[in-house]
Amino acid sequence: MGRDLTRRDFVRIAGGATVLTAGGGLSALLSACGGSQSAGPVKPVEKDVSKLFDAAKKEGQVVWWTAHYEQTAAEKMAAAFKLKYPGIQVDLLRQTAQVINTRLLQDLKAGQNTCDVFCSTDEGHYPPLKKMGALTAFTPPDLDLLPKEYQKLDPDNQYHLGAIGFVLINYRTDKSPTPPKSWKDFSQDPQWKGKLTTGHPGFSGYVGQWVTAMLKLYGDQFLKDLKKQDPKVGRSVNDTVTDIVNGERTVGAGPDNFSLAKKALGNPIDIVFPTEGPVIIPGPVGVMAKSQHPNAAQLFTNFMYSKEYSEALVSTSNYPLRADVKVPAGLPTLDKVKAIHNTLDQLAGINETIAKWREIIG
Amino acid sequence: MATVIAGMRSRLDWIWLLWVAAVVVLLALVVVPLFWLILASFSDENSGALTVANYATAFSRRIYLEPVVNSFKLATAVAVIAVLVGTPLAWLVARTDLPGRQLLRPLILAAFVTPSFLGANAWIFLAAPNSGLLNRLWTNIFHTEHGPLNIYTFEGCIFVIALYSIPYTFTLVSGSLELMASELEDAATTLGSGVFRTTWQITLPLALPAIIGGFLLSFLEALELFGPPAFILIPARQNVMTTQLYLFFAQYPPRVEVAAAYAMPLLLVTVLLLYIQRRLLGRRRFVTVTGKGGVRRPMKLGQWRWPFAVAAFVPPALSVLLPYAALFLVSTSRAWGRGPFAPGNFTFYWYHWSLFENLDTRRAIEHSLEYGAAAATIAVVVATVIAYIVVRRIGRFGEVLGFVAMAPFVVPGIVLAIGFIAAYTHPPILLYGTGAILIAAYATRFLPIAYSNGSSILRGINVDLENAARTLGAGRLHSLRAITLPLLRQGLLSGWLLVFIPSLRELSASVFLFTPRTQVITTVIFDFSDAGNYEAVSTMGILMMVVTFAVVILAYRFLGRDVTRARTATA
Repeated sequence: MGRDLTRRDFVRIAGGATVLTAGGGLSALLSACGGSQSAGPVKPVEKDVSKLFDAAKKEGQVVWWTAHYEQTAAEKMAAAFKLKYPGIQVDLLRQTAQVINTRLLQDLKAGQNTCDVFCSTDEGHYPPLKKMGALTAFTPPDLDLLPKEYQKLDPDNQYHLGAIGFVLINYRTDKSPTPPKSWKDFSQDPQWKGKLTTGHPGFSGYVGQWVTAMLKLYGDQFLKDLKKQDPKVGRSVNDTVTDIVNGERTVGAGPDNFSLAKKALGNPIDIVFPTEGPVIIPGPVGVMAKSQHPNAAQLFTNFMYSKEYSEALVSTSNYPLRADVKVPAGLPTLDKVKAIHNTLDQLAGINETIAKWREIIG
Repeated sequence: MATVIAGMRSRLDWIWLLWVAAVVVLLALVVVPLFWLILASFSDENSGALTVANYATAFSRRIYLEPVVNSFKLATAVAVIAVLVGTPLAWLVARTDLPGRQLLRPLILAAFVTPSFLGANAWIFLAAPNSGLLNRLWTNIFHTEHGPLNIYTFEGCIFVIALYSIPYTFTLVSGSLELMASELEDAATTLGSGVFRTTWQITLPLALPAIIGGFLLSFLEALELFGPPAFILIPARQNVMTTQLYLFFAQYPPRVEVAAAYAMPLLLVTVLLLYIQRRLLGRRRFVTVTGKGGVRRPMKLGQWRWPFAVAAFVPPALSVLLPYAALFLVSTSRAWGRGPFAPGNFTFYWYHWSLFENLDTRRAIEHSLEYGAAAATIAVVVATVIAYIVVRRIGRFGEVLGFVAMAPFVVPGIVLAIGFIAAYTHPPILLYGTGAILIAAYATRFLPIAYSNGSSILRGINVDLENAARTLGAGRLHSLRAITLPLLRQGLLSGWLLVFIPSLRELSASVFLFTPRTQVITTVIFDFSDAGNYEAVSTMGILMMVVTFAVVILAYRFLGRDVTRARTATA
């Protein structure tokens, strides 16, 4: 292990250690240094769902609408499901969150019940659906395989966590070997002046949720400090990755998945979990109340907590939901991540957040 | 006898049906969206009740007012630069013995058909402060930490838009200079005036209408552009009206009503400026074409030939040669971040990917061609029928119809899109999310081109020919089909191309109207740039321009017409 690598890993561990729960420090250290196999102490056991499988087989298919990942990744998830549960077709529609939500609402209004499983990336889409009675209350048997704090996204069990993304710090490994450890450093440390890149909350939902969280943590001062750092502002959260990979800027408030995908291709980019915590972007999953394939829909939703699903997530550079699926070396498993989670009330103020950003940053 | 009358009657019905259909489509394309736009601007966001609150919201906050100021600063600067560069350039090419002027024309034509958002992307590759090619070159040569260029500035945005506005002034002014006989200049020279004094006092004043036209076109274009500000000004943390309009839409739920109110100044200023232009130029006479022949001789530049030639090639070098070189380099890089000349980085992979592997890009290319073709067909049919009604004075409302057909000329693309959203996202006609709304938007935006093209051709066809046919017993429809249409054929084809080409590169309206199922090339480029996929952006940009240039060249070959001339003529 070269000197350079050790130093970089040290930063990662330092960044990771502060978010670890008391007992987890050692395993993270182990995984950082060698990539250990078993991150969790107890081996999770999936429940027997053969009855559900039999009922689902009779229905023959499940219609899955998702905004969670891009098309090719979503196809991988569907293929993994078909492999585990042969005989059930997955009819997949992949669109961005706003579009897929509009389409669902139009369908519901017209009395069409095409969609069985609905996956948006905007949690704010679900309360209105609940109010309309469009979702089924249902607890997937394997939901308890998720870290505890992620098991109750909705107190009424009408939707659950189906995917996660993070906004965290991404950086250029060769130009900034010691990236900022915290959001505070990110916004205040003068050594990053002129080197930062962010997306725009008016364009990107991820960025909007990040700014919401930062305002909650540090108030308006965060944006005032950030402005002094003279950040380059793109539109999408993914713009930060481009800027870093192209060498335009060296440190960003960016996404985990796209950064890791570029890293996997050999680009000099990596991610850091800030000490205050990354901002989690939950991708909920809900089963429609008037689903034409209710059993297949439940089986498919439960499949999201399977090992196969998490493995498919990792293979497409997404963070796995399950703690027992190996994450890229050096990264903490989901149960070790202390993330900042915006409440629905906080997210409802997004338009004012955007206005604040426009007022202070530009 | 009875059957003859019945036959005539049915022919008459048919032709009236054609008139009515054309008028209905015209109303649906132009009047309905504008009506809904204005209505939406006065409607409450929730209840739909009449209110002026949207205007108060749109124009009361500093963050919404600043973009208005920025927009006008941007447009003024762009127009001044475009005229200051475009006018001398036109004079050099049209009136002097400048070396290489034959080469300048196609280069400026290339700049003309290149959409400025593509140029903006190319200039990001060239002049981004750290990763830009020119800056990297500089730091390698001079061993400094930073290069001198930063495209992510207000000035950078002015620079890029001005580059692609120069051809407007150039085309208009060179067109007017070419028609001017040398006699007036000769007279001045005889009286002892030098080349430059003559040009300044005689030639330029005569070209004044063209110069003003160029100024206004550049100004209005810069005001309504969405692409370059989105690519360059947002990273610079500045906003103009178009990017702010986009932000009103990107919100959830979208604030269509506030956006409609916010768009009104764009509409009013455009109407006002074009009205002023008419008044200004209407009073004075600028007759350069007397029909009396006259000789046009190039002026001799003497010792200035070569310095001027070098200077004249600077604008095309900046708007065409460098940007296309950059786009090509990026499009043939496996990963742009590694640098274009890194070993093993050269590849045609992205072309293969765009054309054969990726479903989205392939579909987008197909959509662009389909929608462009459909829009061109609709625009030409409607415009020609309306032009026929107007020119042949059929019915009482000819003049009004002609005015309506020209009206979209004063509606910025982005404003038109908002009108379409306000009009066609609710019953009775639901077009949002379909390709039809893009087709309709393109057809509307470029209807004035088709109309002015059609009416100028129709005016050239003597009505006697039709009358002769009708005297011989042919009905109106028959004489139209047998006499007028064949005469029109070439003109119609050129009108079709004149709508097709700008439809292919339309971004300002498309970006509001597309959905993932109706992606076109320009929106894919917009999305890719957003996801940081610069290699794919460049590849799609080059593919789009290959199609465009192919169409332009075909138009030259088969029609023998200067396509750009006809386009600016609509101004």
